[in-house]
Amino acid sequence: MPRFHFDIHEDSRLIKDEDGQNFANVEGARKEAMLTGTSIAREAFVAGRADHVVVDVREDEQTPCLRISIRLEVQELAGDQPRTIA
Amino acid sequence: MPSDTIRAALIQRLRVSSAIADEDVKEIEALPISVRQYPSERAVVRDGERASECCLIVDGFCARSKTIASGRRQILSLQIPGEIPDLMSLFLHVMDHDLTTLTPATLGFISHDNLRKLHRRSPRVAEMFWRDTLIDSAMFREWIVNVGQRPAPARLAHVMIELRERLRLIGRVDGDSFEMPLTQEQIGEALGITAVHANRVIKQVRQEGVVEFSRGRVTVLDEQKFQELADFDGRYLHQSPTL
Repeated sequence: MPRFHFDIHEDSRLIKDEDGQNFANVEGARKEAMLTGTSIAREAFVAGRADHVVVDVREDEQTPCLRISIRLEVQELAGDQPRTIA
Repeated sequence: MPSDTIRAALIQRLRVSSAIADEDVKEIEALPISVRQYPSERAVVRDGERASECCLIVDGFCARSKTIASGRRQILSLQIPGEIPDLMSLFLHVMDHDLTTLTPATLGFISHDNLRKLHRRSPRVAEMFWRDTLIDSAMFREWIVNVGQRPAPARLAHVMIELRERLRLIGRVDGDSFEMPLTQEQIGEALGITAVHANRVIKQVRQEGVVEFSRGRVTVLDEQKFQELADFDGRYLHQSPTL
């Protein structure tokens, strides 16, 4: 079973995954990356620690084979827009 | 294995948390217990099985867990020596979750028949075991709050402090450090996050100088930060007869 590593970038901070985990195929690793990315992003966004989280998935020391990128976008809307009350 | 070693942690726990009377200690000392050795990561009793005995953890760590259809597992509780994690199987006949060893473990099995006889002989012991299962459900309530509401670093700190306070009761805290023999994957399963996220959280609490976690051992670096991070109030463990 191939061993996949999941390197996390929170903005410019890199947290390298030295240990890795075994998955039967890339599909299993993709699901893990998705769960990991969204759960780390939720915490980092809420804590105001970062607004961009990337998970790079690589097999052992190879270059990444998959990248999941999650970006927070907050738009402050102008307060003078007309508000309608039904 | 000498009989007093088998029951030592259980009796110590009941002395502190329920002020067990000496005559009731004698009843527990007379309870037939058959001891078996288990390797790590081995099911003791599985979801859907019908149990005819309860399991006293003599030594080692276990976990209760439930696995959903996709295969993802949620660890529901960590169990330590002196506990009888499947005590409810005396009344709830088919298991609704798994009990699994986390480490090599020495387990003592008590037949349901003998437990029923003991309860009839000594209603006080029955009440104590009843209280035990109620404390169990108090811990599950806390676990739901933890997984549902706290950020991941706080979740980890909370699980760690709970474990420490329970280990303390049986004299298994060594200064600033205590055993927590879980892999990153198992920590993730206890906190409801992936192993990679668990790894991130473990690194974060170390970098922030709160706790060090390595080779299945937690060392507290800053007790005040640890308590603040965990938002821990130990009342729910009811570790005294007046609580």
